[in-house]
Amino acid sequence: MRGFIRSCVWVIAALALLGAGPAAKIQSMLAKPKVLCGRFDQTKQLVGLKKPVKSSGRFCVVADKGVLWRSERPFANTIKLTRDEIVQLQEERVAMRLEAKKEPTVRMINSVLFALLAGDLDQLEKLFEIDGGVDHQSWRVTLKARAPALAKAIGAIALEGAEYVKNIVIDESSGDRTSIVFSAIQTGDGAMTVDEAALF
Amino acid sequence: MIRRSLPGFLWTLIVCALLAHNVYLWVGERIRPDTDILALLPAERRDPALEQVSAKMIAAAEQRLIALVGAPEWTAARRAADAYREVLTRHGDLFQMNDQVGANMESDFLALFGRYREALLTAADEAALQSQGAQFWVDAALAKLSSPFSGPQLGAWQDDPFGLFRSWAQARAQETPVRPRDGRLFVSEARRDYVVTPINLRAPAFSIGAQQLALPILEQARQAAQSAVPQAEVLEAGVVLHAASASAQAERELSIIGVGSLSGIVLLMGLAFRSIKSIALILLSIAVGCLGALSVCSLVFEKIHLITLVFGASLIGVAQDYGIYFLCQRFSANSEIDSWQLLRRVLPALILALVTTVIGYTGLALTPFPGLRQMAVFSVTGLIFGWLTVALWFPTLARERAGKPLPLAERCAAASMQWPVICRNRATYSALAALAIFAAIGWSRLSPQDDIRSLHNPPKKLLDDQVQISELLDLPTPAQFFLLRGATPEILLEREETLKTRLAPLVERKLLTGYHAISNWVPSTQRQTSRRRLVEKALLSDDGALAVLAQQIGEDRHWVAALGARLRAPAEPLTVDEFLKAPASEPWRHLWLGKSADGYASVVALSGVGKAGLAVLSRAADGLQGVQWVDKVGEISSVLGKYRYAMSWVLLLSYLAVFGLLYPRYGFAGWRALGPTALASIAALAILGIMGKGIELFHILALMLLLGIGVDYGIFFQEQSGAEDGAAWLAVGLSALSTMLSFGLLALSKTPALQAFGLTMALGIITVCLIVPFFRKQ
Repeated sequence: MRGFIRSCVWVIAALALLGAGPAAKIQSMLAKPKVLCGRFDQTKQLVGLKKPVKSSGRFCVVADKGVLWRSERPFANTIKLTRDEIVQLQEERVAMRLEAKKEPTVRMINSVLFALLAGDLDQLEKLFEIDGGVDHQSWRVTLKARAPALAKAIGAIALEGAEYVKNIVIDESSGDRTSIVFSAIQTGDGAMTVDEAALF
Repeated sequence: MIRRSLPGFLWTLIVCALLAHNVYLWVGERIRPDTDILALLPAERRDPALEQVSAKMIAAAEQRLIALVGAPEWTAARRAADAYREVLTRHGDLFQMNDQVGANMESDFLALFGRYREALLTAADEAALQSQGAQFWVDAALAKLSSPFSGPQLGAWQDDPFGLFRSWAQARAQETPVRPRDGRLFVSEARRDYVVTPINLRAPAFSIGAQQLALPILEQARQAAQSAVPQAEVLEAGVVLHAASASAQAERELSIIGVGSLSGIVLLMGLAFRSIKSIALILLSIAVGCLGALSVCSLVFEKIHLITLVFGASLIGVAQDYGIYFLCQRFSANSEIDSWQLLRRVLPALILALVTTVIGYTGLALTPFPGLRQMAVFSVTGLIFGWLTVALWFPTLARERAGKPLPLAERCAAASMQWPVICRNRATYSALAALAIFAAIGWSRLSPQDDIRSLHNPPKKLLDDQVQISELLDLPTPAQFFLLRGATPEILLEREETLKTRLAPLVERKLLTGYHAISNWVPSTQRQTSRRRLVEKALLSDDGALAVLAQQIGEDRHWVAALGARLRAPAEPLTVDEFLKAPASEPWRHLWLGKSADGYASVVALSGVGKAGLAVLSRAADGLQGVQWVDKVGEISSVLGKYRYAMSWVLLLSYLAVFGLLYPRYGFAGWRALGPTALASIAALAILGIMGKGIELFHILALMLLLGIGVDYGIFFQEQSGAEDGAAWLAVGLSALSTMLSFGLLALSKTPALQAFGLTMALGIITVCLIVPFFRKQ
């Protein structure tokens, strides 16, 4: 049950890259497009694995709809988060589906998600202490969960960005470490491919 | 003279003892009647295990209270809930909060189940392990590796590379929609977020004193929540709320019936006898009756139910019958006769009247409802004490001969002379024919009704809140479940698992939404072993998924061996005892009933059961050993139906028995004493039919009582000879009016059973009173 909290932190972390900052300053630096797509390169350093696990792919964030996270390499895997569910697709097959009706935290995750997309930093600050610095071109923050149980489970999250988030590093208390770098950000109606639009 | 006054003197001693005992009870012991809302439900005696289950479930539920404070926004809901909580924490002696979400919940969970993760699988994963090849699991592990948020996980990647434990934990989490959030318990629906606050009441829920303390505080807490957040919604459920509403209702009804009956009687006596002394005498007999009833009940029963007193208040209208009869006779009898001679003359009628009434009340005692039995004991002892007061004291107290007959009695006698007597003539036949047609119409509309709602009918607001809370929390139904038994915990768990294989397809068919069982958390040892073997073969063996995965991510044999060793569960299986000791088991402990005389017992609880589901579920365990379907609602309905049927026969037999009792004194003319009651019963049922009421057990029980009381009037009439009819009619009229008043007031009760009782009695008594003169001797 408690594990679920972690997942919502994952989401928050992943979404934080879409535009969050310690203060109104960061908020003013961030663009808040309706549709935002781009590439990601992720490196996971897991306890017990010699080599880091790398993956890459595309992601999209659509206001009022949700998030699409599509790994392409080494392995095709899609995660879609909408208001009512979280779905994981392997090829065409649904590998996991969590419905908000059954799992209330899905909606909780999404309410944070939508708050983020709307640029509602107040909402994020309810869960995290936001700490960081801003210079004229870019910013860097660390998020620390306010609830001790949460903080213990997820460790620390660091974000860097300018107009958009550039990278995110998550240090879990288990020792697993994930870092994600974003590139090729596109916004506007043409940002999403036909395939991606069809998934929503 | 001494011989005559000795019984009266002894009775004085007894009444003094009663008085002392009652003072001791109410002032010394400070007993308060109990508001056990379950008093009216049938007691389980046939099946000790089932009885133990019921007792455990009731005990677990009794002191619990749950509050949901909701608002459109989580932060607002939190603010409102904090205000609500703050009020209750100020009264820590009465309320104990159980909503502290421990910071270590996740690590506690992992510490217990993590060790056994290899044996904890969902049914779907278990099936996939059997049917899918290694590549399927390699893909799953890779997907988990590549995704930044592949859903919830417990611990590090290396503790659950294939996500099996995650699926299991997720399935367990989804047994309830309640989640921890910001150190509180949280549940949500489309429009609102709620903070869930479980509360333990520290005073007995059925104690009126505790209710009077607790309810205002809860009201205060509600107001605090609403003043903190105006749009806050507060939902509450708990036995104490039902008990408090039941006791408030009972106290209201008790005073309405008591005060109403007493003032009615005083008024009637005043009009009829125009003497304060007569009124005082009647009240005396009622008072001694009530004191006796209270004393005996407190000695026989552990506690007195408030509902007994509500029903017992109607005794006021019955216990005075003997006194009224004696006084009417005293006033109208020849002034030559002294009161002892008079007593000797009226004693046979008084004895018959008492015995028949006692028979009537005995019907209540024949049912398996503890509340009704107590009502029977209360009423019968009350009657006997009232009767003895009349027989032993009245001859002395009402010694003065009345100067002249009562004017009202004279008028009654004159009127009764005009009243036709039933005999073989056309008028009688046509009256009977008219009654037959009326009865046929009424009876044809009667249909049986054996609904549990006739026993307990809580206010709508309480029910609505409860329904909403059940839906929000997806609570299992408390009235329907499977009861399982087995010689050992292992056998019990295996039986649960077999049952669950039958329930799973029913969930697919949406006949229910889920089931809760201890074996969901602790699989049987047999199942744990087979699962470990399955995981070993499909994932951890030399050509299993872990070895294939190692190749794809560039790890070697040593890595496979090390991770395999990490994933393997300890050899000894997870046990129920270990689970029950862990904090994670708190919401599910009530499912495990533990050891009893004939082995171990457990409950498989069901949620989201619809009407269609009930019919299928009742047969789902057919042929399974040690599994029993329990449907409390259905069971209570069937008990009500069974006793409605049985008591109908008892009613008919009682008529025969009463006729047998009357026979030695009246011979075949006894039908004249019995006839009015029989016809009144038929008519009362017909009227109920025309009113569109379903026929319940309580109507039949009321007819038993009607027999007991109605026959008295018949007897009083049979005792008269022509000119004295006036006294009988006056006695019957006064008795009937006061009885009708008492039961008519009982018909206003919000408890459906009492209402049915009161209505039937009031209808019956008035009919008897109107037709009894037709049946007088010629």
